[in-house]
Amino acid sequence: MKKIINQPDNVVSEMLMGIEKANPDVVYHSGVEVISRKQKKDNKVGLVSGGGSGHEPAHAGYVGYGMLDAAVSGNVFASPSPDRILKGIQEADSGAGVLLIIKNYSGDIMNFNMAKDLAQMDDIKVETVVVKDDVAVEESTYSTGRRGIAGTVFVHKIAGAKAEKGASLEEVKEAAQKTIDNVRSMGMAMTPCILPAVGKPGFELDDNEVEIGMGIHGEPGIERTSKKTAKEYAEIMVKKILDDYDYSSSEVALMINGLGSTPLMELYILNNEVQNILKDKGIKIYKTFVGNYMTALEMSGCSVTLLKLDDELKDLLDFESKAPGMRV
Amino acid sequence: MKNVLNTKDVVKVLKIIAKRIEENKDYITDLDAILGDGDHWANMNMGYQKIVSIEEELLELNLADLFKKVGMTLMSTIGGSSGVLYGDAFITAHKSLIGVEEMDKFKIHEVLDSGLNAMMKRGNAKPGDKTMIDTLYQAVKAYKESLDNNDEFEITINKMVKAAEEGMESTKEMEAAKGRAFYRTDKGVGHIDPGAVTMYYQIQELAQYIML
Repeated sequence: MKKIINQPDNVVSEMLMGIEKANPDVVYHSGVEVISRKQKKDNKVGLVSGGGSGHEPAHAGYVGYGMLDAAVSGNVFASPSPDRILKGIQEADSGAGVLLIIKNYSGDIMNFNMAKDLAQMDDIKVETVVVKDDVAVEESTYSTGRRGIAGTVFVHKIAGAKAEKGASLEEVKEAAQKTIDNVRSMGMAMTPCILPAVGKPGFELDDNEVEIGMGIHGEPGIERTSKKTAKEYAEIMVKKILDDYDYSSSEVALMINGLGSTPLMELYILNNEVQNILKDKGIKIYKTFVGNYMTALEMSGCSVTLLKLDDELKDLLDFESKAPGMRV
Repeated sequence: MKNVLNTKDVVKVLKIIAKRIEENKDYITDLDAILGDGDHWANMNMGYQKIVSIEEELLELNLADLFKKVGMTLMSTIGGSSGVLYGDAFITAHKSLIGVEEMDKFKIHEVLDSGLNAMMKRGNAKPGDKTMIDTLYQAVKAYKESLDNNDEFEITINKMVKAAEEGMESTKEMEAAKGRAFYRTDKGVGHIDPGAVTMYYQIQELAQYIML
């Protein structure tokens, strides 16, 4: 394992110290691994997200004007504990309540909900939304169901803008939920990632093999297949998304997301192919984001995310964001 | 054979459990490498070692505060799913211990049952989901049936351990509905759930302590 780290046990805290030093607008709360905004606005709905580390810039990179108020980090790929999330909620609360944006994983759901219970004991009003945009997993009522992946960033963006405009907790939650209802993602992986504490890859892929639908923690996807062209990858991923949700004759925001070690060159090639397909299908692209938004350590691969827009979502998507992970 | 448990007893049991978990690193880690993230042992061990490190402080507490403190400690040190589930179980159980100096066999059942219910509610999980709940649910069920049967306490404890073991073993053929194993094509069938094993260790060590 070759990584720019000191001790595997310290990667999260040392990363957050580095984030604090890189961004004068945020403060790091040591021990509880929370990054929050320095400037608080009274009576603005607070937005808190978080989850395991290893997905940078998610989630600390989305703390800033127009997006999150606080991000809570767990260990690499592990949910933060309720006491940490509670600290994030307390930091984000300025009197108008707090919305928790949770990705749909068993651990995150439990820890964020427990933190919500603890915060309500402190008389802080807390609401939650759960992002489940990964169409690689079948939706199901008896299990955890769909994972939350790159589409979560759009939820941060939309809810963040809504909160900044002075909306109430209920209105911010509605905008977040509308985003969740209209966003779908699909990913693929080409090489595995290495957890610093483990030191070796959690799975292996042959040189000529890719895994379609793999999750951002290396969870199994839909199928392993031989390597293909960018055009073919684009077709596979877009088809899976369009089979799940009808985007025909609508306007969308498109995100081409890298998982960590895929060069931007390849992401732009993929973007070109995806946009060609969408154009053929009469889907109009309103805004495009290409970059590393929701990563999986040094995994190589990508995901494609589509968000169907209406006038309200367009307006909120265009609203200013000063968060380093997504400047608009 | 003990008939009641006080703070001192509970702290001793927690220490014995810490040792048991510490000794089974490879087995638990290997199981979790197949079904989970491979960190279940490391997290559980960290949580219980933390408990051991605050032993003196714990011994000063009444039963209710002891359970609350253990819950908060496990919640923040184990982390992940297991941390919040064990944390919630202990924190919820503390409510039935307010004003109680010693747990008799009925109180022990109440504590285990409230912990179980807290875990099922928090995890939105039920028996059959291939989790630690499969061990605890069977243990609590057998305990209750034995109490209703007016069995000797020794028999109740034996039935509880046996049921816990069967519950743990039963996870082998189950399909996972929770956590990472759910995303596997085989849903983890053929492998025992590591969380069910560490839960079994805890129940077995509690039982052995009572039987001493």
